[in-house]
Amino acid sequence: HPWETVTTAAMQKYPNPMNPSVVGVDVLDRHVDPSGKLHSHRLLSTEWGIPSIVKSLIGTCRTKTYVQEHSVVDPVKKTMELKSSNISFTNLVSVDERLVYKPHPHEPDKTVLTQEAIISVKGVSLSSYLEGLMANTISSNANKGREALEWVINRLNAEIEEFTASARGTVRNSMAAAAFVEK
Amino acid sequence: MNSVGEACTELKREYDQCFNRWFAEKFLKGESAEDPCGQLFKRYQLCVQKAIKEKDIPIEGLEFMGPSKGKTENSS
Repeated sequence: HPWETVTTAAMQKYPNPMNPSVVGVDVLDRHVDPSGKLHSHRLLSTEWGIPSIVKSLIGTCRTKTYVQEHSVVDPVKKTMELKSSNISFTNLVSVDERLVYKPHPHEPDKTVLTQEAIISVKGVSLSSYLEGLMANTISSNANKGREALEWVINRLNAEIEEFTASARGTVRNSMAAAAFVEK
Repeated sequence: MNSVGEACTELKREYDQCFNRWFAEKFLKGESAEDPCGQLFKRYQLCVQKAIKEKDIPIEGLEFMGPSKGKTENSS
């Protein structure tokens, strides 16, 4: 999909069926900087369905995890960069993600996404198995992210088609009405 | 999609509609003139900031109106 389509979809990414744990999205700040780039700071609230044993340790009122996201859209250079990091009350594991969307250098109707995640663990030493597990989850999430945008793009296209079809219907009706009146 | 503050969801929806339209029809096409959603955004913002304080969500740099994490886009 062309870069404009992907960027528009990315701004409206939630809700989508691939990320059911995202339950809230808010814009904390948004402005266009002097060079014309749009900065947005967003807060995402997620509910993970944490196992009850963990809930009993951290308390049931703290089952929401929050993610802070900073995005920059440059409409001239056609880049969209997203940086997100989780804010969690336990503060043991932090995940920072960086995504960059750019038009494909050779195929203008396609967009290239580069994605990286940095996982940091503080204080508690996790076994390498757990770390590997997280890394796998993150890379399968990267695919989910692509599927999620695909879903949003299809939804937006369906909305446009519906709107066009009903507009056409309205025009036909008024033309028929006008023809009737002329007689 | 809901807001972090339940009371803010309606304000959020109005703002989102306005923003999404401006973003796709103006901003991406290079007409980044005036953002018509300023008023809606202010009202929505006040509600969200109140909700965040109430829920005690620790967000860095919330008070600053500029890019907070210090990493601005590089220009080449």
